Amino acid sequence: MKNKNNLSYLLSLFIAVSAAFILGGVIMAVSGHDPIEGYTLMFQGALGTQRASANTLAKAATLCLTGLATAIAAHAGIFNVGGEGQLYLGAMASAIVGARLTGVSPWIAVPLCLLAAMLAGGLYAWIPGMLKVKMKVNEVITTIMLNSAAIYFCSFLANGPLKTAEKGVSAGTDSIDPAFMFDRIVRRSSLTESIFLAAVFALFVWYLMKKSSTGFQMKLTGQNERFAKYSGIKAGRLALWSMVASGAICGLVGMFEIFGLHGRFIESVSSEFYFDGMLVAMIMRYNPVGIILMSLFFGAMEIGGAAMELNANIPSSLIVIIQSIIIFFMAAEQGITAAIKARRANRKAARELQKGDAA
Amino acid sequence: MSDLSTIFNIGLLQNTLRTATPVVLAALGCLMTDHVGMTNIGVEGMMLIGAFSAVMGSWVCGSWVMGLVFALAIGLLLGLFYGVFVIKFKSDEFIIGVALNTFAAGATTFLLRTLTGQSGTFHAPEGNLSTLPRLSADWLNKIPVLGELLNNNTLLVYVSWIFVFLCWLMIYRMPVGFWLRASGEHPESLRSAGRSPEKMQYLASLLCGMLSALAGAHLALGYLSTFSENMSNSRGYIAFACVIFGRANPPKVFLAALLFGFIDALGMRLQSVGISSALTSIFPYIGTVLMMVLVVWRTERRKKKLAQ
Amino acid sequence: MASETIVSFQHVSMQFPGVLANHDVSLDIRKGEVFALVGENGAGKSTLMNILYGMNTPTSGKVFIKDQEMKSFSPSEAISRGVGMVHQHFMLVPSFTVAQNIVLGREPKKSALYDFRKAKAITENLVEEYGLQVNAMDKVADISVGLQQRVEILKTLHRGADILILDEPTAVLTPQETEELFSVIRRIVQEKQMTIIIITHKLYEVMAISDRVGVMRGGKLVAVENTADVNERILASMMVGRDVLLGQLDRNDPDVTDNEPAIVIDDLHVADTRGLPAVRGLNLTLHRGEILGIAGIEGNGQSELIEAITGMRGYTKGSVTINGKSIAGMNAGQVRALGVAHVPEDRLATGVSPAADVTDNLIVGKEKLPRFSLFKTHLKKRAIRQYAREISEKFDIRGAGIDTTVGSLSGGNMQKVVVAREFSFETPVLVISQPTRGVDIGAMEAIHQLIMDKRNAGCAILLVSADLDELYRLSDRLLTIYEGRITGEFTPETIAKTEISYYMTGGQKEAEA
Repeated sequence: MKNKNNLSYLLSLFIAVSAAFILGGVIMAVSGHDPIEGYTLMFQGALGTQRASANTLAKAATLCLTGLATAIAAHAGIFNVGGEGQLYLGAMASAIVGARLTGVSPWIAVPLCLLAAMLAGGLYAWIPGMLKVKMKVNEVITTIMLNSAAIYFCSFLANGPLKTAEKGVSAGTDSIDPAFMFDRIVRRSSLTESIFLAAVFALFVWYLMKKSSTGFQMKLTGQNERFAKYSGIKAGRLALWSMVASGAICGLVGMFEIFGLHGRFIESVSSEFYFDGMLVAMIMRYNPVGIILMSLFFGAMEIGGAAMELNANIPSSLIVIIQSIIIFFMAAEQGITAAIKARRANRKAARELQKGDAA
Repeated sequence: MSDLSTIFNIGLLQNTLRTATPVVLAALGCLMTDHVGMTNIGVEGMMLIGAFSAVMGSWVCGSWVMGLVFALAIGLLLGLFYGVFVIKFKSDEFIIGVALNTFAAGATTFLLRTLTGQSGTFHAPEGNLSTLPRLSADWLNKIPVLGELLNNNTLLVYVSWIFVFLCWLMIYRMPVGFWLRASGEHPESLRSAGRSPEKMQYLASLLCGMLSALAGAHLALGYLSTFSENMSNSRGYIAFACVIFGRANPPKVFLAALLFGFIDALGMRLQSVGISSALTSIFPYIGTVLMMVLVVWRTERRKKKLAQ
Repeated sequence: MASETIVSFQHVSMQFPGVLANHDVSLDIRKGEVFALVGENGAGKSTLMNILYGMNTPTSGKVFIKDQEMKSFSPSEAISRGVGMVHQHFMLVPSFTVAQNIVLGREPKKSALYDFRKAKAITENLVEEYGLQVNAMDKVADISVGLQQRVEILKTLHRGADILILDEPTAVLTPQETEELFSVIRRIVQEKQMTIIIITHKLYEVMAISDRVGVMRGGKLVAVENTADVNERILASMMVGRDVLLGQLDRNDPDVTDNEPAIVIDDLHVADTRGLPAVRGLNLTLHRGEILGIAGIEGNGQSELIEAITGMRGYTKGSVTINGKSIAGMNAGQVRALGVAHVPEDRLATGVSPAADVTDNLIVGKEKLPRFSLFKTHLKKRAIRQYAREISEKFDIRGAGIDTTVGSLSGGNMQKVVVAREFSFETPVLVISQPTRGVDIGAMEAIHQLIMDKRNAGCAILLVSADLDELYRLSDRLLTIYEGRITGEFTPETIAKTEISYYMTGGQKEAEA
């Protein structure tokens, strides 16, 4: 039964992805590009060279962590749309701590920065989580609002009180000690050592959600909160903690960006990374393994899309279109299959009734 | 410290009106869906697409009228699209909203590139884009402050005021408004009265699509006179916040939008004296969260009072 | 009385996913009669009437109203043919006024605008014409349930209904309000030539109000009689048809050496969700080795009482002591740790996670036991599945494997999942509410025996049920509850079912508890 459901889900996912790609091809053709060439360039751009593959992997790591952040909250029944803000605050916190600790041994400083980022993200997620659990304030709306608030706040800091005195930097904080930076694994790519940390955290989230008794309790809380409470599960506390964990992971992603690429907080630390991950999580219905795999796919699409734009002048925003079409298909699929199932059941029932009457 | 009058003057109020208007229109759309019980965060994307279609319509046909027609038509389609997914397919409204916003960002950027060959911000090749006309009446100029404030605004500013009234009239003074509200509050009661709550939901999402697109059209043709990528810039979310602030009542939502417009305008002016606009931009968002807490807290308190 | 047929069901069947709610029902309703439709929960009464009102489209069969066949099965079609329905759950918009609710869907207009004055006038005219007092300008959210029902009736009358369906109208009413409702029914039938169909499961009401009565059981219409030709006993046996079916339970005297009470409740006060008092000064004592039944009409504080005892709802005053410990301030988990298991009244909302599979639903609450998780953290999936298989075999959960989602099980099997989980905690105290509601006879028999086995093993069992037969069959002692207080204590042998309802509706007996 369970396997059958999973199988039918995978089938619809496959259909949705194929259909979205075909539609993407049609769009390319209509806009005067050769779809075959476009997709070939995209594939090569994503996986053709070592550097391309490295970039894809780096992108996938970001998507995967943000996707898992969405999933861990959703697992316990909270919809965290505020990851972008949590990411910004995490990035900011780690950049501040990183700049202050200049000269300290990286073995002490980097973990502290990591902690600062997770604390900042986690605490910022705690606010809407608390409001949801204690007062039933809709967390979707509060997290959306808190996103913008955090981004503006960081922008204020980076342009104002914390603006670096270094020359040639328009907006940003003081740079962190270069010794703290994650080393690049592949030269001139964005793949850094942070990928190992990302993998550890992804594994941890997967374990927590799928294999641990706490994850089990979170799942029941997400499915039926009243039932969870009745069963003696501390549903409110679990939901709150899963929200905090979600925020902490987002903060972590922010820190990886700073310590892997930028070396200081800059305003463009993320371009809606969290929303991309959230889309991945939604498509995979918050299944951790699915998210990890789909992140690789989406990461390849995004990196390949950029190459496609560079080499064939096909706007990379086509990728965004394809991705959103996949979601539309998957969202519709749920409703459509439910309707088909109900109709089939009714028809079967009517047939059986007639048979019974005839006999 | 510079003279306060460089900040607090009539220009501030004019800016308030200008920045508030797109938000007013989008918020009117958003409150429609709110009344039928749909939380539509796709307003942001609808606005962006509306802005793009208005600019394209105006550019291709050389007339702002066609820009508005384009925006309204596309808005209608977007509303229908949203409605079909949420009402017919029973998809999660947040997922559809998020996907719609993503799609809008991707599609407008892509189309801008492929249709005009430009990226970032659109510059009409023939020079000027046909933008919304500004209206003024001479007799108003005789009134000192008001004349300056109320005259010389673009068409949709006045239209948005009329719409505030019309929306209020429709929701609270016409039978269809009662059906709308009933379909949000207790859909089965409307169904048992022989009216379809789904039809009301469709009506609301169509209106929401059109009003949001109109908001985008004003943003592009009335306010900034161009299209640029992601130009809606979270205004859809602000509109959403206004609906919460104004408890979905059009005049109150209008006031909320003016308040947010004022904060926005003030922020831009404060920048000139060295105070970061980013700081003032935070207020609407924090304010909305506080407002939501207040609303819940108030209902809780009323409940407790009832018990005693 | 005219015997002209006004509504005719012909071979109507209705299939919901997994449930055959109506099976080949043929029934004629006559003009100007009060027709009672009786049957137990889930017998298909409401479904049949929802079809007549166009809320459901039958899977097969035809319905004629005034000799015309129903085509589209929409409420608007039914309304236009003169059918009105007062639903069990009221169809009122809480934030609208009484007048606005009454005219909803056919509002008076003054040049496209809503005519508030006319709406008020219409309401006041209706109030006067039918003698149903209610204030037109009150907000529906602020008026009592009895008044809300009047608004519902007025609403259907405003729409010109001459066939009025009342779905369990007295379930939420006080005896006084019920009497008033009946006199209204009698009056409108006599004066306005209306046809009334009343759905109920209270037999004395059938005898009091109806001309004819139809009995439904398991989706089928099993009998249609003139009310004058039957009595409550005959109807009851037609409704349940179970006296013969249910066998004797094994009832032993359990070996209970300690005489310590398991639950002691003293002057308990509990508020309901709206914050209004629901339990008001309730006392009871539950001993080990007994089943203490609580009899009462629904909505008299039973739900809040159970929730308070099990830690799901706080109480405002008084004390609850379980196995010698006060549960003040405890949550459900802490109460469970005192040795309490709980079968809740609403299994779908509280008793299971419908989206989870049978295994998950059986293991909840045990996931941190060493047997099922390493260091309370790592789930031992194999041991869990093994256990789930054992339990579902032991409790005879049929129709599906342990990987089936619980939401797709039948009511009986779903309830067995709840019972299996709760009973296998092996707790000394069991709090059980509506254990067999909407459950088939076979599952009911099995669940009753399981409850009795627990009692025989020395457990203390508190049993709340709306089903008097169930209470009589299982209980050692019976308490009646009315408006949040205990109104009498009995043993099943010493009081007749007809007499106990007197105490359930507010009659007082000096409690000896």
